Order: sequence, then structure tokens, then C-alpha cells
Amino acid sequence: MSYTVDPRRKEKINRYKAPKNQGQGGGANEDMMPDYMNILGMIFSMCGLMMKLKWCAWFALYCSCISFSSSRASDDAKQVLSSFMLSVSAVVMSYLQNPAAMTPPWAS
Amino acid sequence: MRPVFAFLLLSLLCACQLNNANVSPDAEDETDNDFAEFDDDFVEASYDTETAENADSSRGAGGDSFSRERLEVPKKYAVNSDEEEDGLVENDDEFEHFQDEEEFEGYDAGDTMEPPIDQKTEPKLKIPNIPLHFRTHWDSYWMEMLMVAGLLAYFANFFAGKTKNARLAQLWFSTHKALLDENFALVGDDGKVENENPGLIKESESLYTLWCSGRTCCEGMLVELKMIKRQDLVSLVAGLMRPQLDQAHIKIELTRGLMDSFVFAVGSKKTISKVFKEYTDLTKFCSLVAKPEDRYNVPSGFGVLSEIPEATSAILESRVITALNKYQSYIDYLHISDQFSGQVQQEEGSTLKQPETRPVLLAGFNLPKHAEMETIKPLLLLIFYLMERLKTYRMSKEAKAKADKNRLRVEEEFLKSTHAARAEAAAQRREDKRKQEKERVLAEEDPEKQRRWELKEQKRQAKKNAPKMKRLAVKSL
Repeated sequence: MSYTVDPRRKEKINRYKAPKNQGQGGGANEDMMPDYMNILGMIFSMCGLMMKLKWCAWFALYCSCISFSSSRASDDAKQVLSSFMLSVSAVVMSYLQNPAAMTPPWAS
Repeated sequence: MRPVFAFLLLSLLCACQLNNANVSPDAEDETDNDFAEFDDDFVEASYDTETAENADSSRGAGGDSFSRERLEVPKKYAVNSDEEEDGLVENDDEFEHFQDEEEFEGYDAGDTMEPPIDQKTEPKLKIPNIPLHFRTHWDSYWMEMLMVAGLLAYFANFFAGKTKNARLAQLWFSTHKALLDENFALVGDDGKVENENPGLIKESESLYTLWCSGRTCCEGMLVELKMIKRQDLVSLVAGLMRPQLDQAHIKIELTRGLMDSFVFAVGSKKTISKVFKEYTDLTKFCSLVAKPEDRYNVPSGFGVLSEIPEATSAILESRVITALNKYQSYIDYLHISDQFSGQVQQEEGSTLKQPETRPVLLAGFNLPKHAEMETIKPLLLLIFYLMERLKTYRMSKEAKAKADKNRLRVEEEFLKSTHAARAEAAAQRREDKRKQEKERVLAEEDPEKQRRWELKEQKRQAKKNAPKMKRLAVKSL
């Protein structure tokens, strides 16, 4: 497994092209986790805001955390930020409306 | 200066007070205008409220003679004014509620019936009912505390995990850099005009890529270091149930015409059965080899997908088999194909054109658990060896004919499967063309031309709608 001839060829250099279908879900190793978590976070935030369910708001915060941690570098940072803002506002609003401690969903 | 101002302010206040007190009722009497009665009522009313307000303070102060005198003056005046104007009795009713004891609950009562302060006994304190949530019972917020603690733990793990992933990726790169430099003219490219960052590109916290190019036999090599998602606590917990490994996926785009036409894959049985379903070329050209251990001497636990048996045995020659045996735990799969077109498309009917194929060499390696990257360095050598092997290996005539037949068969199958869709597309195109022509004719100003076109169109429609039948010549007897 050793070569005597130099295999390098400068004239054959091709520059790197980012895969076209990145972020479209078509890639072989595409990770859809951040997108799923983003949507889930949005749903939880809405539930937290509309139905005043505190645990939903907290879950939304966790979802946006997961979405943030597994997002790609090429992804839009604004999307992650807006997801964060939405979930944080869901938590803040739910405690402004009712500062009582959270009751777990199984207790109520 | 400050005491002087204070004194001035105080004197101003006193002056005001005196002015108020010295307003003579007689003086107002003299100005007997239309609003006099309202003024009287107002003074009376203000007196009543004032007395109520000041009752406590005046009593508590032990009788401030000045204020009492001041308050008594309007009362006297009020009485006088009542006596003088007998006709205005109904005005008393209007402000009667000020004197009504029930109007202000506990207002006059506190004034008149103040309980005597007993110094010996403890004063009775009445605690009002405060809503439950205003009491700060931090114990009741245990769920919130748990959530916040969870968030803190998540972020602590995020930073620790991301650092570890970055360290592992960098370790892989530094271990293989010398070998890569020997083989490629360009190692590490970020795709920008000026290569600003030669080295690993961070795609996400758990995915690093490296592009190498400028070598014989290939157009380029993309290495993807797919780490365990250490930065995500949830994935880590999920990983406890389904253990994962750090992986390096290598994708080499071979030069066209370098290799003979065949498709082949070898790897752990689990991965092989997965990729067999996933990739179009493997699905269409290959079949799963039964008992590959006996046939090709691959280590147990490995599966082989083969199109041309001759090519498979040529690739799986003794050196490769030795490497497979030695690095069994590190090799996930090897996939060589001249017809690679990515994953199987879900919506089969929608694509009318056959997907573009290209020759590739794909490999997946598991990275060692304890960051001993040196142990897997020979695997990269194996890849280079395979590339050289593909360049030199030529199939026999029969095998070539079989491969060509296979490619033809797949193409025909594709055309057959898309026949209906293609016919529909052609009909659509024809319809569009006709519509365009109609628009063009209608846009023209010559009515003669339009008429002619309409006639032609009608004839065409009639011909189209007419039942298809054979014309039979009936012989008259």
C-alpha cells in the first residue's frame, strides 16, 4: 500500500462546492432535528401563550435550546433567535399573568 | 441658604392659612349674587368633610386652638346663612349623604367609636386575606427550579460537548494531515474565493467536513466527521439507549472512465441492509450475497452487495480482506459504484429525467472510542489503495457485457415507469402550444384569418371526437 509516484496533481484541483440540497431534507446525512425542534418549540410556545400552560412554555424553551445546539452553521441564526424569543416570552407572559407556581400536567 | 428658604416657605404657608381664616363671611354676604347659595353649600360641605378628616389629628394634637377656631367659623356662618335664607332648604338634601353614617363604612365609626388603647393587653391584629400566590413560598416553585436547573445543566453540557467534539475532530485532522498532504494538492477548502480557512469546516457542533482535491484518479474527496451529538443533552440520553459512535464518512468522486462499470458494497450487516434500501444504485443493480464469509472470506458479521461477482472478488482480494479482518470494528461500510445517484427518491413518478450518475467511492469508518486516532490511520491508506486498484482493474468481456445489459435494463425500467407521466407531459405541451396559437390568432386583426383558423380548429375537434371505426365498403347486391 505504498506508492513510488507522487499522486498529487495541481491541475486537477477542484474547489469545494457546498451541497445544493443542503437544508432541503434531501441530503444523505441530513439532520432534521433542528427543524423539528423549531416547529415543536413554536407549537409549545403558542400553547403556552394561548392556553396559559406554563409547562408548555418551559418545554418550548427546551425545544429552542435543542434547536440551537444542533443547528448547522449555515442555518439562519435569526430563526433560532426568534424561536428563543418566542419561547422566553411565553414563559414570561405566563408568569406575568399568573405568578403562581407551576402545577405539573399530571397534578391538575 | 436652605434654612432661609424653608423659613420663607413656612411663612408663605402661614400667610395662606391666615388669609383663608380671615375671609369674612360678612364680606361674602355683601356680594349677594346668584352663586351665593352654591358657595354656601360648598363651604358647608367642605366643612363637613374637613371636620371628619381632621377630627383625629386635631384630637390627637390635644386641641389645636387655631385650627379649631378656623373650622368653627364656617359652621357659624353656615347656620347663619340657613337662618337668613329660609327658602333654600332643599339644598340640604343634596349633601345629606355626607352625614349619613352608612354612606362611608367605618369612616365615622372609627371617628366616634375608637376602642380605648389598652397598654396591658396585646393589640388585636386583623390579618387580611391575601391571595395565596402573593405569599412567597419558594418551596412551591420546585418545578420552576427544576426547569432552570435543567437549562443550566443543558448549557453546561453544551459547552463541554462542543469543546470535546472540536478537540476530537482536530485530533483526527492533525493525525491524518501528513498523509493527506502527501496525496492531495489541496487539503482543506472552505469554498470561498480566497481560501480563508484551510482545514476542517464546522458545519454544526457535531459535524465537521474537510475537502481535499488535486489527486490522480479522483476529482475530490470529502471527509465528514460525524460526531456523537455531545453538545445536546437529549441526544446523549437517547444515546444511552441506542449507543452511537463517532464516524468518519469519506466520499471520493472518481474521475469518469477510471473504473469499469460495476456496483459493489461491503460492510457490517446492519449498515449493508440499511444502505441496500437507501441508495438507488445498490437497490437497482446489486443483490445481497448469501454466505459472504465462505464466498469472499469477509469477516463474520459483514455483508456483501454485489452486481458482478467477478468484480466483487477482484476488489475483495487478500490485502483488502486482511484489512477488513484487522479493522473489523472500525469499518462500517465500503461502497464502490459507477452509477451513484444518491438516495432513493420518494416520489418516483414525478421525475421524468433519469437522475445523473457519477462514479464514486464511499466509505464509513467508526472512530476509536478513546481518541487513539493513529489506529485508524491505515484505513485512509486502504482507501487510496482501493482507488489505485479501481484504476488498474479491468473486467472480462463477459462481465462487461453483463454490466452493460444491467444498465440497459435499469434504463428501460425507468422509461417504462415514467411512460404515463411522460405521455401526460407531452399532451400538456401540445395543449399549451395550441393555446398559444389561439391567442396569437385572436390577437390578429384580420377577421378572415380568424375565421379560417376557427374552421380548421372545428374540423380538428370533430375529427378528434369522431368515433374511430373502420370504413367498410358495402357491396350492393
